[in-house]
Amino acid sequence: MIQVEHLTRNFEYYTKATGLKGSVKNLFHREKLIKEAVKDVSFCVEKGEIIGLLGPNGAGKTTTLKMLSGILFPSSGSARVDGFIPWERKDEFKRKFSIVMGQKNQLWWDLPACDSFYLNKCIFDISDGEYRRTISELSELLDVKDLLNVQVRRLSLGERMKMEILAALIHRPEILFLDEPTIGLDLISQQKIREFLRSYREEHHTTIILTSHYMKDIEELCPRTVIINHGQVVYDGGLLEMNRVMGDKKRLTIKTSAPIDPSCLAPFGTVCSLNGCQATLEIARNNLTQVSSRLLSLLPVEDFTVTDIPIEESVALFYQNR
Amino acid sequence: MNVKTYFSKLLHRFTRYFRLLFLFAKFSLMAQAEYRLNFFSGVTVECGYLLVKLSYVAVVTMAGVNIGGLSPDEIVIFIGTYILMTGIYMVVYPSFSSLSQKVREGSLDMLIVKPVSLQFMLSFQNIDFSMLIPNAAAGIILIVTGWYQAGLPVTLVSVSGFILFLLSGVFLTYSLFLLPHLLCFWLVSNRGIAEITAAVWDFNNMPQLIYGKWMQRLGTFILPVFIITNFPGLFLLDRLTPFLLFWGLAAPVLFFILCRLVFSRAVKHYTSAGG
Repeated sequence: MIQVEHLTRNFEYYTKATGLKGSVKNLFHREKLIKEAVKDVSFCVEKGEIIGLLGPNGAGKTTTLKMLSGILFPSSGSARVDGFIPWERKDEFKRKFSIVMGQKNQLWWDLPACDSFYLNKCIFDISDGEYRRTISELSELLDVKDLLNVQVRRLSLGERMKMEILAALIHRPEILFLDEPTIGLDLISQQKIREFLRSYREEHHTTIILTSHYMKDIEELCPRTVIINHGQVVYDGGLLEMNRVMGDKKRLTIKTSAPIDPSCLAPFGTVCSLNGCQATLEIARNNLTQVSSRLLSLLPVEDFTVTDIPIEESVALFYQNR
Repeated sequence: MNVKTYFSKLLHRFTRYFRLLFLFAKFSLMAQAEYRLNFFSGVTVECGYLLVKLSYVAVVTMAGVNIGGLSPDEIVIFIGTYILMTGIYMVVYPSFSSLSQKVREGSLDMLIVKPVSLQFMLSFQNIDFSMLIPNAAAGIILIVTGWYQAGLPVTLVSVSGFILFLLSGVFLTYSLFLLPHLLCFWLVSNRGIAEITAAVWDFNNMPQLIYGKWMQRLGTFILPVFIITNFPGLFLLDRLTPFLLFWGLAAPVLFFILCRLVFSRAVKHYTSAGG
């Protein structure tokens, strides 16, 4: 469905020294610099698949989505979305996909959302019956039926985002690009949007690329994750397998009846934290049994917990290491 | 594709765009009506500007002198055309002037992905009626009064020719005055250029015949702003040579083609913003 090969996008920019002197100098001379926002990115997405695109701010996730939706031209590389080259911007292609950006809106600010929906109906040339069915179904699913006639500016952020999603789905796109759709929303709103996306995809088999900084979004929705850092793909796989790639470690937390001597922990693994009677160690998975039994015999252990490395930390390690 | 299918698709496309234009107009008016005070103050301010323009008319008719071979009544037709065209230009002016902001903030993103001409949406998405109403009313009244007072014939040829050159002026206004705003795709902020184009528009507040020969040539062939408000009146007074008749109708087509070419190049320079 989506094939991305060696996609690269450079932006020109220039720096400016602080102060008035820098501004005056800037009027006459600007040193042009190049930023590689996306560097040689390649990946594929199958029809009906949902993938999460992760990466720190400025990693190139949004730029990638903008190229896949034809908003930006790439500097080099190629991409095909359902057989179309996105930046050729063919009308036929535009009817196949939709993009929702958490920080941009398509709804008319001073008018009720239903007016913007109607405009989209006319833009996408949707029949009256199909339009009515879609609005009725999606407004029910998103729980916004009573808000359709309220001016967009009077809606809360969560309500507005639901309306943005509804507006994006009016023409029933086969492909959906979601760029931080839950940004700034409270936990309940985030959860509702996730539930909606999950059930919508299951029913309509929509291909989705989702970017988000909220790990919950990715964990709950995306079996596959592509991590981009400094414009490059640094990981492509399941979130749960990420730990294995990062060294396959486990985290062991012990609570003892007497304060722990730091020197006796050091030989077993990396000490993540030590606070009186409680310590957390990071150890290799294959040493788990051996280390556990030795610690149990060595220390007056009262409580003992083994966990995986939290996904957030694995992802953060990817951000830092690669 | 046979001819019948082609024309039926063309007709469908035309009606779809016409419907969208109607919706943009309706939504713009609805959005403006949300802020009543702003809407009525806009109309009031425009009425003030209109009074200033009408004072020219008063000066011309009271002085009673001929300027550039035109009688005061004939000059009233030119001023009326200028006022009417100003009202029409002001309808799309908010869209034109907000283009630079849209480029700077990256808000074109959500328009590019729609299966409708981007140029069409950018041109007509935010249209303003508060300036059209007083200007169109005053302009039409002045044209009709001047026409009647000057004793010019009301024939099918004169009326349809006048309307044809008005339409030609509308098309030329669109292309000619959108072009400078397109520079924002390269320069991002183009307020200075926008102010210069506004000043160029005001060259039309008097008939072109008051300017020198070279100025008239410049304003007719190089930067053809004079065609917009002068050619309907000059046609009526039978002052257009066959070449000028041709040029008056060809210039809007040429400038529209130029505008389309520049627009498609400009959009490739769009770098979006905010993420």
